[in-house]
Amino acid sequence: MRPFAYAAARSLPQALEQVGADSAYLAGGTTLVDLMKLEVLTPRRVVDINGLPLRGVWVDRDGLHLGALERMSDVAAHQLVADGYPLLSQALCQSASAQLRNMASIGGNLLQRVRCGYYRDTASPCNRREPGTGCPAVHGENRGHAILGTSDSCVATHPSDLAVALVALDASVRLVRRGGATRAVRLADFYRLPGDTPHLEHDLRPGELITRVTVPPLAWARRSTYLKIRDRRSYEFALASAAVALDLAGGRIRDVRVAVGGVGTRPWRLPAVEAALRGRPLRVEVAEAAAERAVDGARPLSQNGFKTTLVRRVIVRALMRVAG
Amino acid sequence: MSGSAPRTVSVSRVDGRLKVTGAARYAADQPVDRVAHGYLLLSTVARGTVRAMDVAAAERAPGVLAVFTPFRPVELHGTGNPFSVGHRWLPLQDTEVRYYGQVIGLVVAETFEQARDAAALVRAEYDAHPPAASLPDGIPGATDPGPIMGEPARLEFLAPGVESIEAALAASEVTLSGRYTQPIKHHCAMEPHAATAEWQDDGLTLYTGTQSATLTVGAVAAALGVAPTQVRVVSPHVGGGFGNKIATWAHPLLAAAAARVLGRPVKVVLTREQTFTVTGHRSGLAQTVTLGARRDGTLVAVRHEAYATQSASGGTFEAAAHTTSRYLYRAENIHLDQRIVTLDIPPPTWMRAPGQESGSFALETALDELAVELGIDPVTLRLRNDATVYPGRNVPWSSKHLAECYEVGARRFGWDRRDPVPRSTIDGDWLVGTGVATANYPGERFPASVRIRFRADGTVGVDSATADLGTGMWTVLAVLGAESLGLPVDRIRPDLGDSTLAPNIGAFGSGATASTGPAVAAAARAAIAELVRVAVTHEDSPLYGVPAEEIDYDHGRLVAPGVRIGFPALLGAVGLDTVEATGSAGPGPDHGRYAFTSFGAHFCEVRVNRWTGEPRVSRITTVIDAGAIINATTARSQIVGGVIFGIGQALLEGSRLEPATGRIANANLADYLLPVNADVPPIDVHFLDHPDTLFNPLGARGIGEIGTVGVAAAIGNAVYHATGRRVRDLPITLDKLLD
Ligand SMILES: Cc1cc2nc3c(=O)[nH]c(=O)nc-3n(C[C@H](O)[C@H](O)[C@H](O)COP(=O)(O)OP(=O)(O)OC[C@H]3O[C@@H](n4cnc5c(N)ncnc54)[C@H](O)[C@@H]3O)c2cc1C
Repeated sequence: MRPFAYAAARSLPQALEQVGADSAYLAGGTTLVDLMKLEVLTPRRVVDINGLPLRGVWVDRDGLHLGALERMSDVAAHQLVADGYPLLSQALCQSASAQLRNMASIGGNLLQRVRCGYYRDTASPCNRREPGTGCPAVHGENRGHAILGTSDSCVATHPSDLAVALVALDASVRLVRRGGATRAVRLADFYRLPGDTPHLEHDLRPGELITRVTVPPLAWARRSTYLKIRDRRSYEFALASAAVALDLAGGRIRDVRVAVGGVGTRPWRLPAVEAALRGRPLRVEVAEAAAERAVDGARPLSQNGFKTTLVRRVIVRALMRVAG
Repeated sequence: MSGSAPRTVSVSRVDGRLKVTGAARYAADQPVDRVAHGYLLLSTVARGTVRAMDVAAAERAPGVLAVFTPFRPVELHGTGNPFSVGHRWLPLQDTEVRYYGQVIGLVVAETFEQARDAAALVRAEYDAHPPAASLPDGIPGATDPGPIMGEPARLEFLAPGVESIEAALAASEVTLSGRYTQPIKHHCAMEPHAATAEWQDDGLTLYTGTQSATLTVGAVAAALGVAPTQVRVVSPHVGGGFGNKIATWAHPLLAAAAARVLGRPVKVVLTREQTFTVTGHRSGLAQTVTLGARRDGTLVAVRHEAYATQSASGGTFEAAAHTTSRYLYRAENIHLDQRIVTLDIPPPTWMRAPGQESGSFALETALDELAVELGIDPVTLRLRNDATVYPGRNVPWSSKHLAECYEVGARRFGWDRRDPVPRSTIDGDWLVGTGVATANYPGERFPASVRIRFRADGTVGVDSATADLGTGMWTVLAVLGAESLGLPVDRIRPDLGDSTLAPNIGAFGSGATASTGPAVAAAARAAIAELVRVAVTHEDSPLYGVPAEEIDYDHGRLVAPGVRIGFPALLGAVGLDTVEATGSAGPGPDHGRYAFTSFGAHFCEVRVNRWTGEPRVSRITTVIDAGAIINATTARSQIVGGVIFGIGQALLEGSRLEPATGRIANANLADYLLPVNADVPPIDVHFLDHPDTLFNPLGARGIGEIGTVGVAAAIGNAVYHATGRRVRDLPITLDKLLD
């Protein structure tokens, strides 16, 4: 770890003021401190935002709001979330460990870094960490890597489970920058594809802060699930996951949301799968046929070809599970 | 208690409270004044030489006391100690790089953080060459490792008139062959390796987690060029060893050598990542088992070929065939062939059930394949081939009850309800299957001593230089001390994990209890005799002048006609704080006349999701025949731990060695997957109770390793039964089961 200056911000304007080039906000620290110890991230200044009033879980006519500093465990257990958006609760409960969820914040979760072993090892080349050095994962260890949205520069999977569920729900993040100007960005647009610039992960401008996440109203999200498949039963990132919400009427799919994780370089919404399901009766064959569209354009690597099958199965299993 | 086995007790760990309250001091916890902190520098190439190291920035960094490198080494002596680092080299004595993650430096600073941060400022330049780091690529060049436990690596027993194993196989009514592979694996003990070295005058005290304080003294003394009497190793608690804390790795040697140069104590604690290359691992293996049998299931020929990875820097490879197919079943023709594939990787070492773990996966899977092929129940097949004499040596087992393990296990598990047809049981989205496999582990016994010390305060010290790796040795000493002296357990003060205690080689080979237990009894006899001697020879003793043979020892009291005195009162009367004696025990003269082996049977149920393929173990019954059980509570924990170890082997664990770089890609506990609690099903452990008094007076053979042997095969066999798919490559992950 490199020496750094630490300051705890007492107000939002102060936080925005304190942050500059080479600084980082500190929320739960479960990503930031981890990567600082590995010297993958080397901020000179750390601004602790835990004292800011970015808390709360509430519903109004714009939908469900989650304060950026709410802890994963609290959000997962919140009645409004658990009842209205089971897929969010489930995505959170299947993330990390109980201890981490007690520390980690919603804002930090959305900005966690990829888990690619080359990214995390400063002795290895990595275009995301050091642009232009190359990507050993393309021909190296890539069993856990992405099959969708990859480029020759980077094939790392987006790690957040929560983001997959939020993308399925069309959620947006509210951002504030120095001077107080705010903007809302759909999460689906917030994350970038790696392309030739994998080090640019998202649309956050320097110094900008996430204040909250908003999920638009969706009454039928009550019928939803997050299914996460991994080698061990707990405490592991997804090999493939699916966030599914269903609007069923008399056995027919009136509307549906499907997004997948563990397979894309960003949380991957699947409009083609949704379209193939809409208006059809919910049967296994229908689900299977629709899930075929999940791997449109997939580029499997040497060790992760199984994900093209797995991700389709996860979608089918998740759909059948919510169908009940 | 001479001759008769002690009764089984159920006692919670006597060190349990220390551990759950954090009071137990592990190697890195020992408070030492003025201690400086060392941080290891590791190579980032696998083969070549270190051309130069720029340490200027590190030396200037805050708090830094010294930066040792091959260009500015600490002094270490000698090579060739099989219980030290890589057998053939010592750290910092040359510029050669033998594997990725080899120690190439040590930064010492006032704090751990200063040492670590300075270490990140060191730049090393290498002349690097491509490493050999692939087991499959190395198989054509595999070599003979030399004798294995006194027998040739290529070992054959043929029935009279049979010319070759090939001929025996060709003449069999049915033959079947399978190739079984498994990756390198790491021990991942919860306590990372650590050492704190403190010199006082010419004496070194070394706090380091070790399974053998004695072997550590030897290795450290040799490397530092001092007499063994100058080195004291202290290791009261070891947070898991699993075989990886037998050899002496680089960190205690460097800590001791740096402490000597700097004139102050030095502590070196490995990071989790560093443990993957600075310490040992289990070889990766490719094995081929070929079975020849009659239609009725009688085995005629067993051929077991094993290729294990070895390091060019030395180490202890995994001998899979000699530890399993060598004697597990009766077959007229047995052919074993163990080869090693030498690679530019860190040194392999012993890991829980070294040999049996991998060998049983191959053999016990092959047997299941044979059972399927012949349409014979897999339990029946094993019992049909149960060996009664040790093949090739023609000695009987001292005590062998494998058949009873299977009978009892089948009953407890409900094996008779099994439909043998694969894929015949479906529960919702889950394919359900069951499987069995045999467990085996030799009864090992080493010479050991114990000292027993009666104290005036009414307690009794029972000490030995053995180790407790979480295995329950503290409790075993207390229980056996209490038993042999007829005192309650809470009067006993056990002590272990210090090389200055009564001599003991340590805890490995599942032999700690089997070796140390009989010595407790011997020490008790000796200490009682000494107590009597003091009583009759000391003028102030109420028993002064009484003939010794008229005195009985009874539950802490000496009894003679008209006199009855407890040892505290006696010690008080004669003005002594303690009376003590040391007793020793070792393998008896009969040892060559029997084979000593523990056996067991695992019954396992798995569920495989029919959509997404993930295999989950849903229940296990394990029946163990290990002779007498001393403490049922800690014994059960040992078997449960062994079974969980096997679940890791079967479904999760594997160190991902990159062939091109020789780097272990998942050297951390997020990416090296160990079972978590959610992966652990209900485990039903049952011990047969057949004390093996031919083995030792305790009748106990040891239980540290056997629990893991065969678990992977039982799980793999159950996966086959659930899905109809045979996976011969571990770990059995869902990608191998998706159809
Ligand atoms: C062992 C392990 C296993 C894990 N497993 C999973 C898993 O299975 N699934 C999963 O989804 N996640 C998993 N995680 C990741 C975990 O969920 C994230 O580390 C956590 O959510 C990050 O939140 P935090 O508050 O600790 O963020 P921090 O570490 O404090 O911050 C992370 C990043 O976000 C920035 N930041 C934080 N808050 C804001 C804000 N309000 N505005 C702008 N920038 C901000 C920080 O500057 C930093 O760059 C795992 C983590 C670990 C260590």
